Amino acid sequence: MKRLGCLWSLAALLVTLPTFLITAAGRFDQKLSPERQVIHVLNRLTFGPGPGDVEQVRKLTVEKWIDLQLHPDRISENPVLENKLKPLGTLQLANWQILEKYPPILPAFVVKVPTMPPLAPQQMARLLNCSAEERQTMLATMDAETRRLILAAGPPPLLEGLPDDVQQEARKVRQADQEVRQKESRRLMPPLNELLSPEQIQTINHGTAEEKIALLNSFDAEKRLQILRVISLQSLTDVPQLRREALTARQPQEFVNSELIENKLYRAIYSSRQLEEVLVDFWMNHFNIFNGKGPDRVLLTSFERDAIRPYVFGRFRDMLLATARHPAMLYYLDNWQSQVPRDDIPFPPGVRRPGLNENYGRELLELHTLGVDGGYTQNDVMAVARAFSGWTIYDPQKFAEFQFNPAVHDRKEKVVLGHAIPAMGGEQDAVEVIDILAHHPSTAKFISKELAQRFVSDDPPQTLVDRMAATFTKTDGDLRAVLQTMFSSPEFLSEGAWQAKIKSPLEMVVGAVRALNADVTDVFILAQKIADLGEPLYGKLEPTGYPNTGAAWTNTASVLGRINFATALTAGQIAGVKVDISRFNFKGPAAVAGEVLNMPPPPSMLTAIEKGVQGKEATPSILAALVISSPDFQRR
Amino acid sequence: MFPRRYFLRYSAIAMAGLGTAPSWLVRAAAQVGQTGNKRKILVAIFQRGAADGLNVVVPFFEKLYYDMRPTIAVPQPGQENGGIDLDGRFALHPSLQPLKPFWDSGQLAIIHAAGSPDPTRSHFDAQDFMESGTPGKTSEDGWLNRALALDSGPSPLRAISIGAQLPRTLRGNHQAVAVNNLQQFETRNKEMAAILETMYASTADSRLMASGKETFEAVKMIESINRNPYAPANGAQYQGGFGNALQQIARLIKADAGVEAAFADIGGWDHHVNEAPQLTSLLREFGASLAAFTRDMGDRMEDIALVTMSEFGRTAREDGNAGTDHGHGNVMMVLGGPVRGGKVYGRWPGLGPEQLYEGRDLAVITDFREVLGELVNRHLARDVSQVFPGYIPGAPLGVIKS
Repeated sequence: MKRLGCLWSLAALLVTLPTFLITAAGRFDQKLSPERQVIHVLNRLTFGPGPGDVEQVRKLTVEKWIDLQLHPDRISENPVLENKLKPLGTLQLANWQILEKYPPILPAFVVKVPTMPPLAPQQMARLLNCSAEERQTMLATMDAETRRLILAAGPPPLLEGLPDDVQQEARKVRQADQEVRQKESRRLMPPLNELLSPEQIQTINHGTAEEKIALLNSFDAEKRLQILRVISLQSLTDVPQLRREALTARQPQEFVNSELIENKLYRAIYSSRQLEEVLVDFWMNHFNIFNGKGPDRVLLTSFERDAIRPYVFGRFRDMLLATARHPAMLYYLDNWQSQVPRDDIPFPPGVRRPGLNENYGRELLELHTLGVDGGYTQNDVMAVARAFSGWTIYDPQKFAEFQFNPAVHDRKEKVVLGHAIPAMGGEQDAVEVIDILAHHPSTAKFISKELAQRFVSDDPPQTLVDRMAATFTKTDGDLRAVLQTMFSSPEFLSEGAWQAKIKSPLEMVVGAVRALNADVTDVFILAQKIADLGEPLYGKLEPTGYPNTGAAWTNTASVLGRINFATALTAGQIAGVKVDISRFNFKGPAAVAGEVLNMPPPPSMLTAIEKGVQGKEATPSILAALVISSPDFQRR
Repeated sequence: MFPRRYFLRYSAIAMAGLGTAPSWLVRAAAQVGQTGNKRKILVAIFQRGAADGLNVVVPFFEKLYYDMRPTIAVPQPGQENGGIDLDGRFALHPSLQPLKPFWDSGQLAIIHAAGSPDPTRSHFDAQDFMESGTPGKTSEDGWLNRALALDSGPSPLRAISIGAQLPRTLRGNHQAVAVNNLQQFETRNKEMAAILETMYASTADSRLMASGKETFEAVKMIESINRNPYAPANGAQYQGGFGNALQQIARLIKADAGVEAAFADIGGWDHHVNEAPQLTSLLREFGASLAAFTRDMGDRMEDIALVTMSEFGRTAREDGNAGTDHGHGNVMMVLGGPVRGGKVYGRWPGLGPEQLYEGRDLAVITDFREVLGELVNRHLARDVSQVFPGYIPGAPLGVIKS
């Protein structure tokens, strides 16, 4: 009997073993059912399906819908989106227009600190190095204004050895200056409790939106501006127009970036050309620029508009060149300061000589084209840096346009990845480097793998990546063609890719808003929530950008953060986002989950809900929150 | 009557015997190690923005210091707004008065002219290099995560960071929890939490399953900690956002949550313009909060070492805006029971033109890994080569009592 039992177990094992092998290894060649295909392409080519999307794709067929998304000019844009974008006035401005209207520090805020008067260099040198008696004589012969300035701003060695009355005079002058500065500072930015009465401060902190607007309208222009400069932005969460005004009044450059964030979020939520928006997000991340580095905060607007968006369905080489030339990139990776070392110019000792900056050269190879294992050496990095020397920015704080400066360009021969660029070239050296890199086989593989990571799975099958790389090479970097290869591949529409990706904070938040068909009138808090979850928009410090893989988004803070976000969203607690929960009234967990996920909910979810709820009534908003918090909603 | 930690341990064992002990409770008992020795705790504080070390711990014996900083130098001890004399050569910025008692009692050690050998003056890069513990390159994980021992069944709160993001310092193979606010580290609705815990435990995605499990364990642990009202001991008074962060670390340690490594940061040190008043008020919050933490922890400081660092220092000379530019060498402080304090460690390079780094900054004489390495080696009893790959430590400074 025992031996028979053994044989049965062995037989059972033999039967299950091959199926196990097929399911483990062959999932990428297991085609998705037609129903799953519809949901899958929506999850991957958009920021998440909303009500009605599944029917639309099913009616058109998956292939035709993908093709439509690949040609956004054939899609008429959602009129709701156009209304949301209209008030965003900075989006179409040129760099110099933005910089003029929104300078880094408003002149109004600057309190002048005394500086030494403009003496002739010899006079200055004598003044600082001569004996006390000589200094006294010099000071006595100067006019009153110059004398005062020297006493006010001169370094302590200047006053050494001078008689007491001169020292006293200097002290009094400095003290008077300081008092003037303090008064000026208080005049420009008086504290809030000097501008408003306690009742008025109550209104600001706890009043309704209408009350706040009425209060501020009751003041004259100057007082209104003074108040907006010091008021806390949090107290204006419910009054977007006042908040925008306040931000423009005190941090104009942040205001510009806030409009870019609004642009991004409204497009992600409302655009009909979803694949284009997903791709802009992908490429902005690939060519990451940090909004916290100097003028980049405002240069990002034209960077996204002019160097990325026009090329997402075009040629990689063209996008690469556009990013290389754009002042935002030249500033972010310091190439604008990169200069050929000049041995012919004398520098005083101790002063740092300007030289080559390899930052851009390194990241261009490592992050933008070949990839860290793409087969380049430190010599290549240096050669690329030398080729790019002279690619700089004309007046980054006022005009911020590309400029080539031949004076600081390295004219020697450069050898980049085996290609010789002859000496005595100029601006074209760097363009040649762009061409070399864009056509390098490692670039085709690196870009293909990154795209496959974003759209297929964290560890995409090498067969797919190779096929995409082949298309890349064959079509000279035609990104639409590479996308077509990917979307029509068996690996893309396979069980292996099904639900294999974890949503980034942006994808999760926008996906939730779209799934609930929320009415969004203000994205300020939404952007804050996305930042809290770990993905501040345009706020990635490092040039690597945010990761394309799920490991970064699965940690304790993430999970808890998403649960709390889902609860706040469905309870209507996120300012500017209105969710109509009533459409889930009288529906059970299975129906609600099905509607939010846009697919049949997994049994494990329903079991968990039923067990937890145990006959008690779960309100629609709790049910919706449970679905959006679920691990299944975090997957796409 | 019994100390709380013993109650936890024996009740956990009793409950475990019945098979009913929640795993977090058993872990809390792990705060007490197998032999009954309490685990050592390392708290890392990062001053983001390049703090001006020369004005934090002032080399008042150097005439050049006063020559180079006519507007912003801290006056000599004894003068109005003067520094607090430590040893006749160095003085604390007057705002750091709350730390003086710990200097006197030997719990505060200072290492000056310390920092990273890497020449970068980019905040981003320098912070990355320092947090990775690998100057010149950024590693995926951080030194403090690598310093955690391989352990079976550690507490979900063994590595905590106060803030919304997990800093690079604590990223790595060992689980680390970012807590923005203890009071808010809970799910609003407990029934929902229970349902979600079941969902995460049965999901097909292994990453979500693992992080879900850790999340709910950490949440339960913190919820039970939050239920006990907390008041800082010994009259400690924390100040500002930084004080709040330290108070939360103190609370978690005192709750025997099994904390081994903690991290908090404080920004706002990048004083290119009008440094003096800004530094005065920032150091007030900094000093008061560090002192409050030490006072609050009381006897438990025996097992705690707290170290402060910043990505680089600032120029020795003041700039044209009564501020300073990015520099190189800086000051680090170590606070705690195991510290051999009351001394300024490290050779002082001087401020002469040939002694300054690139003619402008305080030089780096002591690599920051010397300091952190000694803490890892002597305080946490861990192998330094695992924590700072490629670094060969010199003779120990002696900051930690052996």
